[in-house]
Amino acid sequence: MKEFTPLPDKPAPNDVVGIIPWLKDNLFPTPLNSLVTLAIIAFFVTVIPPLFDWLFFSANWSGTTQAACTNKDGACWVFVIAWSKQFFYGSYPVEELWRINTCLLALVAIIVASFKLHKDLRNKIAIPLFLLLPFLSIILLDGSLIGLEYVATDYWGGFTLNVMLAAASIIVAFPLSFLWALGRRSDMPFIRSVSVILIEFFRGVPVLALFFMGSVMLPLFFPEGTNVDKLLRVWIVLTLFMSGYMAEVFRGGFQAVPNGQYEAADSLGLGFWQKTLLIILPQVIKISMPNILATFVMLFKNTTFLLIIGIFEMLSTTQTALTNSNWLGGHSTEGYLFVAVVFWICCFSMSMISSSIERKLDTSHKN
Amino acid sequence: MSEKPQVKSSPSFFNNPRNRSLIYQFLLLAGLVYFFYGIITNTLANMEARGIKSGYDFLFTTAGFDILMSLIPYDATYSYGRTFIVGLLNTILVSTIGIVLATIVGFLMGVAHFSKNWLIRKLAVAYIETFRNIPLLLQIFFWYFAVLATLPSARQSLSIGEAIFLNVRGLYLPGLIAESGAGFVYTAIGLAFTAIFFLARWARKRQNDTGQQFPVFLTSLGILFGLPLIALLLSGIPFVWDFPALKGFNFRGGITVIPELMALALALTVYTGAFIAEAVRAGVQAVPHGQTEAARSLGLKESRIMKLIIVPQAMRVIVPLLNSEYQSLVKNSTLATAIGYPDLFTVFVGTTLNQTGQAIEIVFMTMAVYFVINMTISFVMNRFNASVELAERN
Repeated sequence: MKEFTPLPDKPAPNDVVGIIPWLKDNLFPTPLNSLVTLAIIAFFVTVIPPLFDWLFFSANWSGTTQAACTNKDGACWVFVIAWSKQFFYGSYPVEELWRINTCLLALVAIIVASFKLHKDLRNKIAIPLFLLLPFLSIILLDGSLIGLEYVATDYWGGFTLNVMLAAASIIVAFPLSFLWALGRRSDMPFIRSVSVILIEFFRGVPVLALFFMGSVMLPLFFPEGTNVDKLLRVWIVLTLFMSGYMAEVFRGGFQAVPNGQYEAADSLGLGFWQKTLLIILPQVIKISMPNILATFVMLFKNTTFLLIIGIFEMLSTTQTALTNSNWLGGHSTEGYLFVAVVFWICCFSMSMISSSIERKLDTSHKN
Repeated sequence: MSEKPQVKSSPSFFNNPRNRSLIYQFLLLAGLVYFFYGIITNTLANMEARGIKSGYDFLFTTAGFDILMSLIPYDATYSYGRTFIVGLLNTILVSTIGIVLATIVGFLMGVAHFSKNWLIRKLAVAYIETFRNIPLLLQIFFWYFAVLATLPSARQSLSIGEAIFLNVRGLYLPGLIAESGAGFVYTAIGLAFTAIFFLARWARKRQNDTGQQFPVFLTSLGILFGLPLIALLLSGIPFVWDFPALKGFNFRGGITVIPELMALALALTVYTGAFIAEAVRAGVQAVPHGQTEAARSLGLKESRIMKLIIVPQAMRVIVPLLNSEYQSLVKNSTLATAIGYPDLFTVFVGTTLNQTGQAIEIVFMTMAVYFVINMTISFVMNRFNASVELAERN
């Protein structure tokens, strides 16, 4: 009996695989497209070499003063290097920098821990620590309460301030916005209207107006003689602003939890808070994670607006450096480029994480 | 033993949801009343201690400061109320420019994402990912301090055909000066728009009734350009060009676009454009592929598939996103204050607040203005959204 053997596979035709068909399909599909491709390539050929030359090959890398920037055809990275401590830490005393680093490390450690730890440990240790972290950090950075050298908030600054302010605001905004979102879904008419007004107010007003409100109106609200720290007022404003946006994110999350989950919790006899915290909240956070990250990126970028009310975050440190009398050589391009790259790396990686979570959660079979 | 436990027919007072919700709401109300009472008494005490006046009388006193750019006649002798209007108009100007340009850039880049050309696709992605992830304020500074400040001085201006000049002091465009009889042309333009509106309505009705199509787009184009052109010729061209010319150290005549406005409009356009491009991309991707396949199997041309199948469905995703992008553009235009473009925020919350010290009234008025602008945008976009929404049968 003759056994059936299939013929060997034929190789794919030459005009669909390989580099030349790819080029034909993707770069030169039509005459017009070919022209555009050539124009773009020509543009890159003329722009890239001088740009790279300015950025790297002719750039000035070593030195400590402006005089070290001898090659005028290249970027003066000496400016960035000389000011890098200021860019990242502001005017915080050099020997006390370990405090800032400790706070940032703690933040990273807690975030990692809450993903890696066992559920019980996470709920009992990581989450309370996470919620307390802003306050612990303030105690450490300020120093006067625990016997360290006192560092006034006027000296806090730089990129680490952007990071810490954004993180501290979102951490406090988590419980607050959750309450607002619950309020907006509540059956009680008065609680619902108060929540709607709060949320829409903080979403509808420019964040700059809120900062001005924080700096010119908040002092009027406190009893006479109380002097509230500028950074604290900024933190309050950022937290409320963030809560407005996050409340809407959470509301979307609540709506995405299937009704059966609520009904199942009710039929088990769970009370309102048990139902909300044990059944609904974990699902809401999971569903809303990409949007929470996107909102955080927005908040993080918006911390640069603090320049306008005179907080020494990274961009305003750069502005100060650019107008410093020892560095009046027109280094604005280098300075802004550096700040842009730092922010870009942070925001881009966060949006990558956000979209990877989104892809993991997305189980629809599109296309 | 057989005694049954007594079951209450109604829950205790505190376990009754109605009573509970009343108690909670009353507690919130009491808390809020206490909070606002505290704030108001503190504020009044503080204002008295610092000698701050209250009320809106300051709007009618002389402002006494100049404003860099104004769309209406203004000088230092006008009142604070006038500064409010000047700032408001400047805000509306930059927001309108930003919204129009960002929409154009955003749609171009969003569509470029689906180009057949690999390079164009990658350029669109690079544009979106670069400008979305850099803080807007930094982009404003970059355009203002690093790009526009390095332009040549007035004498070495870059120029196009001796009509448009670009230098470190701004962009100079030729302007049109209307002479008597211009009203005739304006009427013709208004008439053209009205005619197009009614033509489109008539054509849609005819198509619904009889199935016959009417070339609305070409006819509209003809009306839009034809009517004003006829009016222009009939009235003997009542406009003259006003070209900018170098007189002394600066240009005079024409329309001047100050560098602050240019930097702000550029940054807002590029930044918001990236978000709109992302919205357009999301909208087009949200249309299931089966729709395109079904359209192809019906034998529609690729261009008709785009116009009749993809775009109407993508718009349902795009329009709500556009709504929030436009609103955030208006809110972001307050960053004008960082480079000194005289928008509402710079003029009113900046200078006027500094001079009068009436923080509460001024911040309140400004917030109210942004609220109203955003409500207007939201209203218009929601009307637009209703027109593109899926018509569901209930």
